[in-house]
Amino acid sequence: MTFSSSYLFSLTTFIYLGAAALYLIHWIFRVEKVGLLATVVTVGGLVIQTVGIGLRWIESYQLGYGHAPLSNLYESLVFFSWVTVLVYLVIEWQVKRRVIGAFATPFASLAMAYASFNSNVEDEIQPLIPALKSDWLIAHVVTCFLGYASFAVACGLGIMYLFKNRFSRDSQGIIGVIPDCKVLDELMHQTIIFGFLWLTLGIITGAVWANDAWGTYWSWDPKETWSLITWFVYATALHARFVKGWAGRRIAYISIVGFISVMFTYFGVNFLLAGLHSYGSQ
Amino acid sequence: MKASSSTYQDTSIWRFFSSVRLAVFLLITLAITSIAGTVIPQGESLQFYLETYGPNFFRIIKILHLNDTYHSWWYLILLGLFSTNLIVCTLRRLPFTLKLFRRDNLIVDSGRLLRMPFKKDWEIKGELDNDSIQSISSAFKEVAGKFRERIDADGGRLFLAERGKWSYWGVYGLHGSILIIFFGALVGLFLGFKGSVMLPEGETIDQIVNRQTGEHILLGFSVRCDRFYISFYDNGAPKEYRSDLTVLNNDDKEVLHKSIVVNDPLVYRGVTFYQASYRAIPEVTVQVAKSDSPRLSLTISAFQKALWPEEQLTFGLMQYRPSVHGRPAAHIWVEDQEGREGNFWLLKGNKKKFKKGENLYRISLTNAKQRYLTGLQVKKDPGVWIVWLGCTVLIVGFAVVFWVPHRRTWLWIDRREGKTIVILSGQTNKNKLQFEKDVRKIEETLDSNLGVRQ
Repeated sequence: MTFSSSYLFSLTTFIYLGAAALYLIHWIFRVEKVGLLATVVTVGGLVIQTVGIGLRWIESYQLGYGHAPLSNLYESLVFFSWVTVLVYLVIEWQVKRRVIGAFATPFASLAMAYASFNSNVEDEIQPLIPALKSDWLIAHVVTCFLGYASFAVACGLGIMYLFKNRFSRDSQGIIGVIPDCKVLDELMHQTIIFGFLWLTLGIITGAVWANDAWGTYWSWDPKETWSLITWFVYATALHARFVKGWAGRRIAYISIVGFISVMFTYFGVNFLLAGLHSYGSQ
Repeated sequence: MKASSSTYQDTSIWRFFSSVRLAVFLLITLAITSIAGTVIPQGESLQFYLETYGPNFFRIIKILHLNDTYHSWWYLILLGLFSTNLIVCTLRRLPFTLKLFRRDNLIVDSGRLLRMPFKKDWEIKGELDNDSIQSISSAFKEVAGKFRERIDADGGRLFLAERGKWSYWGVYGLHGSILIIFFGALVGLFLGFKGSVMLPEGETIDQIVNRQTGEHILLGFSVRCDRFYISFYDNGAPKEYRSDLTVLNNDDKEVLHKSIVVNDPLVYRGVTFYQASYRAIPEVTVQVAKSDSPRLSLTISAFQKALWPEEQLTFGLMQYRPSVHGRPAAHIWVEDQEGREGNFWLLKGNKKKFKKGENLYRISLTNAKQRYLTGLQVKKDPGVWIVWLGCTVLIVGFAVVFWVPHRRTWLWIDRREGKTIVILSGQTNKNKLQFEKDVRKIEETLDSNLGVRQ
């Protein structure tokens, strides 16, 4: 059983950790070749992880359960890191700035490390409980996590913005290689728009599903409420651009607060609050 | 937002309710206050809050209705303000948008064209004949799309390719969709109901209990649970809960059969039945006989009475133990016509005698099993389609607001003192990067068209 999905996921964890380290080295020591290597390693990791996800899907059929690998905390963490890397690579390809990788890939590698090394995270393939047996499972999880991943990248961009803004007089050194505040601001805005659309779709698919499963499209369950809180935060970010003096630094802060809210929606609700979504904590 | 309205009174209250500042303030306030209802358990008894939080915090919970945060007076006020903000903002922007929408972008002069963010101009010696202008404009059409044309008295010609002007309405869709969703929720609140029922196998109901008010709601038809099944995976996790339901009309005619599982409810006349929970209750079968008369089988379920009609005796199951000395045991309650009660334990396999009045009876426990009750959520929500409509408009509006640009590309050809001046300029309100690429393409096309003459 060497060529199993769990083996590939362990491999992915180390590859992403390595990629994050390479991006950091590339940023701090400004070696172009290391940056290229970081990209190659990240793409390699993504390919291996993709194969891993496909394999886990097949394995679940072999066990007789037959469901998409999106059903528990472990699988969601793997998927979260997969989407985060994907979203980041698209941005790198569009903007051609590898420095962003130093702020984006750590989210993906941390998620994989948490999934792999925390013994509380059950990594075995489990059968679907009745509540999760729905065609909406894939649509709901995929849309939500596209949102989460975009917000992770937007948070990375927000941190970069604050760095750059704080030491803006440093036009050289490690601050110098960070793109201009204007570029970062626009990039952050676009990423938030993208994430907001997916979060909205995630909430809507969740509502449609809940209406099928629980008989009500909205029941103020803590997970629902926190996703709405997150939605309010990013809606604030989108409107703040039209308020005098709010663009730039304040939106960078909102982007970071928004991601904390995402993290709470994702983990905090599962571990700290009881509710209908409790299967996400196993 | 610019205050350009003259149709509406521009009072400070009007301005306040339409401001983005208020929107931002409300969004932040809603985000922060919504946390309360996720930290404090909702919908518990008042006693629970008093015991959990102590008298001081209990008072705050009571005043602010934190036991039902999202229906509390202050939360509803916030949502009301939010809606007002959306409506006033829409009304205030409307004239501005109408003006933008109605503006004829062919009415423009060369000076303004040269101030556009994307522009390029050519100066060509000699005057272009109509054929060349024709070929230039068709080249322009090929890359820029459909255009409109203006011919000035002095022979100057202006072409305008315009796309996505309607996208100014996207924001109204986006903001309006929130109001549509709120409206749908209100329709559901006032014209629908939510209830639940525990339905034993084999039983029929024609009414349910409203979850909020506790009132009984008549369905206008009946539903029978024929069977309930539960199955498990090898690891003990539940695999499926299923209820076989039959809908009966008022003449007790069966009109619909359906097996419902979680995620696959039964819908009949706008009322939806969801598989929500189940309960297993014991059910015992006893054999009873009066002195020497033939024996009779009676089934007694927990929480229900069983009648022996010939003798007018009523039985009930008070308690059930699956194993007493290795055998099932039932605590039976019995009452006769005059209201004389008695109770005794029955062990499977043992006979028992009991007296009621003058008569002596024999009874024995012959069978014991689990009987299932299926827990159904019952709902009627005529507003749900309005909510889905709102969600669709929300997504479409969002896509239009952020990804459908209003693009304008002008081509001006003017003859002046033996020279021809050609100006290409463009403007977009979104995605400037892509627009720049597209304008470059037009530029290159014109370059190669005009190049020979330069």
